[in-house]
Amino acid sequence: MAGHSEEHSAHAHPSDRFYWIVAGVLAVVTALEIGLFIVNEQHLIAKWLEVTLLLILSTIKGAAVVMFFMHLKGDAGIFKFVFLVPLAFATTLLLSFMVLFSDHVGIAG
Amino acid sequence: MSESSMTRPPTAAAHHTSLGVDNRKLGVWTFIGSETMFFATLITTYFVFAPVNRARPDFQDPRKFLDIELTTVLASILLASSLTMVLALSASRRGDRRSFTTWLLATVGLGLAFIGGQVYEFNHLYHEGLTLSSSLFGTTFFVLTGFHGAHVAVGVIWLLSVFFKVRAYPDSPENAMDVEIAGLYWHFVDLVWVAIFVLVYLI
Repeated sequence: MAGHSEEHSAHAHPSDRFYWIVAGVLAVVTALEIGLFIVNEQHLIAKWLEVTLLLILSTIKGAAVVMFFMHLKGDAGIFKFVFLVPLAFATTLLLSFMVLFSDHVGIAG
Repeated sequence: MSESSMTRPPTAAAHHTSLGVDNRKLGVWTFIGSETMFFATLITTYFVFAPVNRARPDFQDPRKFLDIELTTVLASILLASSLTMVLALSASRRGDRRSFTTWLLATVGLGLAFIGGQVYEFNHLYHEGLTLSSSLFGTTFFVLTGFHGAHVAVGVIWLLSVFFKVRAYPDSPENAMDVEIAGLYWHFVDLVWVAIFVLVYLI
């Protein structure tokens, strides 16, 4: 089993060129985020649309970092489990509290 | 003990678990999972208190204080450091000591640049009147970004300690794993900034 796992991770190492390409994509996505922020300072698009687009772009960035720089894509399932379960829990926590308290001015006020 | 076994580190097989994975790597991934919860709690607190901040007499508007230009530079620095980190890992696996040294020390340098930028930002905000106790925005902002900055500082120390430990034989399985798990932590710190950058500075 150990041997299988080592073999599994050994052939999952991309080339340096691939890492440069991923970094280039991350730079482009970051530029898009900044562009979106600057555009919406003039209130050219609806706030909900700006927030949605920013969340999609940041999710793309985060997924790229986790999958390709942290090599979670193609790595052992136990690593995915111990990271993705807390991530799902954390996301649920954030969304739940946003729904409950996004307009609530009384909490600890 | 032979001379070669004294100079070369042992193989990574000594760290295997019954799951077939390295126990140190499993430990770091589990730690990262717990850290994800930790930062989610701080980010949630920031958002829960945002409307409270707006309703209080000591309200401070985040848009008037946060500098998007500086923060963009800081985000770019951390993203670049993730690239140099993964290139250092790649070089260590190839046994390319020169590239390993270059990329790992570049990662450390970028980490220090980020910390320097954050110190500048905090100092600037302090002189603008935003402090840890000036408003709920100040409290939640400095706690969140301060903890992230502390994690970057720990990452720099971790990377330097790994560098001095493995620089002689970066390609041994044991040492390559040391580089990999330090890299996992470093990429996680970058990942947290991806979230903070959008949720706190842009939205």
